[in-house]
Amino acid sequence: MSTEDREVILSIKHVDVTFETGHKKKLRAVKDANFDIYKGETFALVGESGSGKTTLGRAIMRINPCSAGEILFEGKRISGKISREEDRNVVRNIQMIFQDPAASLNERATIEYCVSEGLYNFHLYKDENERIEKVDRALESVGLLPEHKSRYPHEFSGGQRQRVGIARAMIMDPKFIVADEPISALDVSIRAQVLNLMNKLKAERNLTYLFIAHDLSVVRFIADRIAVIHLGEIVEIAESETLFKYPMHPYTVSLLSAVPMPDPIVEKTRHHIVYDPSKLEQTDEQRELREVRPGHFVFCTNNEFTRYREKMDRMEQEIG
Amino acid sequence: MDEKNLENKNDLFGFASFDKYESEHIAAPQYSYWKSVWRTFVKNKFTVAVAILMLVLVLFALIQPSISGYDPLIAPNVNNAEMRFIKPCAEHIFGTDNLGNEVFDVVWAGARNSIIISFVCTFITMFIGVVVGAIWGFSKSMDKWMLEIYNIVSNVPFLLLAMILSYVLGAGMGTLIFVMCVTEWVFVAFFIRTQVMIIRDREYNLASKCLGTSTWTMIKNNILPYLISVIMTYVSRMIPSLISYEVFLSYMGLGLGVTKASLGRMISIYTSYMNGYPHLFWIPVTVLAVLSISLYIVGQRLADAADPRTHM
Repeated sequence: MSTEDREVILSIKHVDVTFETGHKKKLRAVKDANFDIYKGETFALVGESGSGKTTLGRAIMRINPCSAGEILFEGKRISGKISREEDRNVVRNIQMIFQDPAASLNERATIEYCVSEGLYNFHLYKDENERIEKVDRALESVGLLPEHKSRYPHEFSGGQRQRVGIARAMIMDPKFIVADEPISALDVSIRAQVLNLMNKLKAERNLTYLFIAHDLSVVRFIADRIAVIHLGEIVEIAESETLFKYPMHPYTVSLLSAVPMPDPIVEKTRHHIVYDPSKLEQTDEQRELREVRPGHFVFCTNNEFTRYREKMDRMEQEIG
Repeated sequence: MDEKNLENKNDLFGFASFDKYESEHIAAPQYSYWKSVWRTFVKNKFTVAVAILMLVLVLFALIQPSISGYDPLIAPNVNNAEMRFIKPCAEHIFGTDNLGNEVFDVVWAGARNSIIISFVCTFITMFIGVVVGAIWGFSKSMDKWMLEIYNIVSNVPFLLLAMILSYVLGAGMGTLIFVMCVTEWVFVAFFIRTQVMIIRDREYNLASKCLGTSTWTMIKNNILPYLISVIMTYVSRMIPSLISYEVFLSYMGLGLGVTKASLGRMISIYTSYMNGYPHLFWIPVTVLAVLSISLYIVGQRLADAADPRTHM
């Protein structure tokens, strides 16, 4: 599918997120992130711990302020100071699913309150009956029962809690959802359940996901496009299958070589590639994202770009 | 296996139907926070005994003075030498003092004023302290200047302030309450501010923020319910300590005027009869101690019961 004719829902333009770590010390957690997310797709952001993927997700949620650049949602700037009206509009349309369902629900509130919190804030109901009906419907859409309304979060299993978190986001009828490692805190046996639920809701409600994860096998299952982030820099963006087939950047290659295989014989003979940044071209030239193939961007210098194109040609011939 | 058996087997087995929502059902009984608090609290026999003792003492102190009609300005037996310094006996339970007053009446009248003052002060300081502290914990700009106020206020000697204020405003119940509240709320606010800062950035608060919840709703629904137990601990320490404060200030002559019965002033007067009539000193002190300790224990146990970690 060509990317030009698709509608951009969220656009991240040269975004930097900087934290102050002590006196006059600064940490650039996200460096010059620059990409678009198209309407209706699942865009995955993968990287190791501390690479800045959650920070970027939180910058979109406006929990972390951007120190440079801007974030556009449906063409309107949402980073920095915005009017109260736009702020409410953004809150309604961009919602988040959190990583740890145990930590992200208010333990002292009933599920009814947790789910209808957004409804209360925006007064999205005519009367009590309508609110309760909406909560019931939201719970039902994630496979929970209306009788759960009066329960407290600690009475639920991890998967159920995560589904409460999803219901809470869905009740706002958002267009865009930032899912920050929604399954990494869950037991392996119920991960598929939550992923399938997310896919079902996406199809039903025409949602767009930003899926933050470090588990590449999950990402391959759910994502349409993948961005690889390393130490705050986006090193490669490509369509899911293309990335797995033709990884260009050495970091992506190394990351893919670390995906576990459910086969002990293959695992024993596997060669893990270690990423060594010193093997990259040593130059003062600023690296930037360059398009190796339509829709496939790699973070590189001009020389590297030529080499990646050659590599791409070779790989395409080999694989066919 | 022959044909016949196989046929039978097909008859024996059928598809079992199942309800996919059945697994979502929670079998445990409904959890209710305040019911669990109550259940945990009454589980301990000792706690219940102390709570009953405390209730009896407080109610007695509040009711008895209006029955006895004790007034420190009227000493009906002051000219009757036989009525002075009677040791505790069946007729005079706590004996009588230097003015021929029943110590029993004097003690409860004093205790009533101490209790009223400490309860009122605790309510005022906690209310102001919690509200200010909760906003203080959230607001970074408020934090800067509130910390300076805290630094200044916490370095003013309390006794000095109490002395000046009671000389300026004149002794009395209102003054005493004002003196004890005027600086105390800052300490409560500082304590609450620290507690709020600890849980302010937890993930469920970020989640609320992403849902567009206002700071005030967040304080009300996300922060304060978590602080019930620490606030109760604070209250349970504060009530007895304010009773002692009142007694101490009255003992120093800074508290209630002579028109009001006061445990502190009584103790200070009775101290001079320590050698001849020790019961005059020990009875009010014991009542004070039992009252303070029972209030403290009940408060502590309530605070423990309010912590949901003890509910399981």
